[in-house]
Amino acid sequence: MSTAATRSAIDGVMEALAARKRWRFHHIALAGVAVAFLAWCADGVGLRPKELGSALPAIGEYFYRMAPPKWEFAEVLWKPAAETLYIALWGNVIALLIGLPLGVLAASNVTRSPVLRNCAKAILNLLRSISELIWAVFFVAAVGLGPFPGALALGVNFGGILGRLYAEALENIDNGPVEALAATGASRLQIIVYAMLPQALPQFVTYNLYWFEVGVRSATVLGMVGAGGIGFELVTTIRLFEWRETGVVLLLILAMVTLIDLASTWIRARIY
Amino acid sequence: MNAPDTRLQPMLSIRGLSKTYPGGVRALNNISIDVAAGEFLVILGPSGAGKSTLLRCINRLVDPSEGQVLHNGREITGHRGDLRAIRRQFGMVFQQFNLVKRLSVLTNVLTGRLGYRGMGRSLVYSFPEADKRIAIECLARVNLEQKAFQRADTLSGGEQQRVAIARALAQQPTVILADEPVASLDPKIARQVLGYLREVARELGITVLCNLHQVDYAKEFSERVVGMSRGAVVFEGPSAQLTEDILHRIYYREPGEEAKDEA
Repeated sequence: MSTAATRSAIDGVMEALAARKRWRFHHIALAGVAVAFLAWCADGVGLRPKELGSALPAIGEYFYRMAPPKWEFAEVLWKPAAETLYIALWGNVIALLIGLPLGVLAASNVTRSPVLRNCAKAILNLLRSISELIWAVFFVAAVGLGPFPGALALGVNFGGILGRLYAEALENIDNGPVEALAATGASRLQIIVYAMLPQALPQFVTYNLYWFEVGVRSATVLGMVGAGGIGFELVTTIRLFEWRETGVVLLLILAMVTLIDLASTWIRARIY
Repeated sequence: MNAPDTRLQPMLSIRGLSKTYPGGVRALNNISIDVAAGEFLVILGPSGAGKSTLLRCINRLVDPSEGQVLHNGREITGHRGDLRAIRRQFGMVFQQFNLVKRLSVLTNVLTGRLGYRGMGRSLVYSFPEADKRIAIECLARVNLEQKAFQRADTLSGGEQQRVAIARALAQQPTVILADEPVASLDPKIARQVLGYLREVARELGITVLCNLHQVDYAKEFSERVVGMSRGAVVFEGPSAQLTEDILHRIYYREPGEEAKDEA
């Protein structure tokens, strides 16, 4: 370790530092491009902040007309509200059945074969990229009106989303137990069942609870295309300008989502 | 484990083993070691000496680049063979225990039986009574049968490592490969864990290959020591022969003679 060698090592790091500086300019340029792109897109969206300002009172006007809510209308809503919950629940069960096998296949530490993995990823992408509302239109056409196509639509779309999340949870597990089980002579499938799934399970449960909550919200929209649930009542009251009834529907949805949020927080605190 | 005196013939024979990882790191360089049945062999060396790679080449978690490993005269390297049947004969104990923390102690020990079980029941967490009995007996050997139904992560570090030893025993192995089993434990617990390892080796006639970096433990527990440095064996003999000079060779060997090109 001569001092000359040390000095040349220091020079080397100095050069690397200068190279990093150049990269930083590069990043600023990229940020500039990004801002320009956003501005260009703003034109495409037709962002008009001034009009938004004048429109706010009009939106307030809608909410003003909803008061006081016509509470008697709630009697009509119990059944579709319950139906919304059923749709969300069964939508999640279908999503689990679709998402779990595909998610396992899509996780890079579980599935070594790139062909199989990419096939699973492609299917997940397809399921996810078509929104549940569009799926609902397809399923209504296929199996008729009612909650069943709604549950199918949620299940297929959420299956694509959950599968992706399951795969990521699996990819983030600790590899130590996986190696330990390989060392016992366990087969690949046994390793997945005993070392990988138990580690990812709490996250699976968390994701499913969260997407159940999302499902309740989504299910309120599915009614618009005839796929059951409270959404049908919501759209009908709006079309008939029955604002006080609309108010009841919105409050009921808010109450359901809040209750589910509280319940899932309670459950999540108890799984560890 | 029928045990006629096989001490004359090595039960594990490592011949000319080398491993070069993709990217060019040469972790092992022409290693040859013979191990007798029932021996407690310590492989001593600093971090990065290649000890872990050596153990993983034996149970084929890592495939060696060159050389062979013979187990009771049968070659277990090279041919794909029945990897599971090979691996279940080698129990492994890890520095970080590597238990599945969210499963019970007993289920963790039962995973040692997976190598013997097919695709059917085991995938739904169901084991034959005989396997459960083996697992509980193994737990009793490390005096943890009372904690069978607790979750693994409720146990202390020393206890977790004893569960890991029980898991290795549940494989009914002929060899236990212990990779720095006490590196993350305090000295008192470390001696206890090494004591259990030595005890099972003696009582069950299991051969133990134990990686260590602490000289004290090596002197205290081993019958024979292999000293490793930079992927090569630099000492082999009884621990009493570990002189200052030899320890210096193991721990402070400069990238000397064979590696002048490193500048």
